[in-house]
This record gives sequence, structure tokens and C-alpha cells, in this order.
Amino acid sequence: MALESPHVQAEAIEAMEFPELVRRYNVSGVPQTTINFGAGTVVGAVPEGYLLAEIQNALTSTSAE
Amino acid sequence: MTEQLLEESVREQVREIFKDLQNPLQVLFFSSETNCDYCEDTQKLISEVASLSDRITLTEYDLDRDADLAAQYYVGKAPALVIAGEDGGVPIDYGVRFVGIPAGHEFSSLIHVLVMVSRQDSALQPETRTALQNLAHPVHLQVFVTPT
Repeated sequence: MALESPHVQAEAIEAMEFPELVRRYNVSGVPQTTINFGAGTVVGAVPEGYLLAEIQNALTSTSAE
Repeated sequence: MTEQLLEESVREQVREIFKDLQNPLQVLFFSSETNCDYCEDTQKLISEVASLSDRITLTEYDLDRDADLAAQYYVGKAPALVIAGEDGGVPIDYGVRFVGIPAGHEFSSLIHVLVMVSRQDSALQPETRTALQNLAHPVHLQVFVTPT
């Protein structure tokens, strides 16, 4: 997704090395994706359309605040 | 001869996959001298991977000594890898990062991502690509993974 948009940055984070991030974002299993530092969360490996919808939701809820 | 992390059979497999590399890649590795249990192993791992193709240029930095560059790439933790393209010797940042050692399952993700960035092909559905290209706001994705 990062390849397709200059606005998207994507990090794969090794959970066991960074327990403070795991705590901060309540990571309960892997893979788990945090969108915009907690604006959205996706648990598990999901179809790309689902992740995209969650990204759009997270953007809407953030800009509405 | 120093001991290799990757077995010869794995190196051979990766060399085969790297035949698909197209455009040159720059990999920026950030380490830290403090509190970094996996920096040394990650450095060895990415050096071995980079040595398997002449399309990959690896440069190594330190989070503290190269703080400006780290900030420019939004790298705040080590070990971190920025998987970038290249134009005229200068990295092109697509926003693709690995934080922590890309071992186990993540090793195949790393190899896959290197090929993806080099080929400029996300393999996503056309409608997903269009939607992503229409994004007007920054999106930061942190995908938590484990090596097993």
C-alpha cells in the first residue's frame, strides 16, 4: 500500500522486541495493524479491501474530531 | 571465514528470487549502540541478503550519530530497515520499513518486499490502487508481527 501512495507509510514491527509499543496499542495477537497511531486497529491478516475500508474509517473519524 | 547466518541452500533460493529484481534498491540500516539486542544480528542478516544481488546497495547508519537522517526517514527505533528505491544514486523513499529483526516468517516478507519495491508492483487489486492513489491524508500503518 505504501508503494501505491506517497501518503502511506508502512512498518513491519517485530512485536517481541518492542513490548512498550505492544502495550500502547493493545496488541493481542499477530498480525495486528495499528492505523495512524491508534485511530484504527485491524486484527489478523485481512483482505486488502477490509484494511482499506478501516484506513478510510480511521481518516474520517480523525478529521471529524 | 566468518560464519554466515544464512545457510547456502537459503542463499541459493534468495539468489534465484532476486533474478526478478528490476530497478536498483537502496536499503538503509539504522542501528543503535544502546539497548539494541538485535542490531548486530540484523546487520549481519541484511548484509548477507544485500550481498546476494548487485541491485541492492546497503548503507548503515546510527540512530544517534545520524539523528538528522533518522528523523528524515521517521526512524526512531533500532534495528530498522528502510527499503527504498533509487534514482541517480539517491534513495527514493516509498515509506516501507522493517523495525526489529526480520527473521523467521519475516525473512520471507523482507525478500518479498525487496522484490516488490524493485519491481514497483504492489500486487494489489486495481480498485485498491485507485483508492490509495486518491488518499489525501497521511496514513501510518504499523503491522505487528513475530518471527514465528
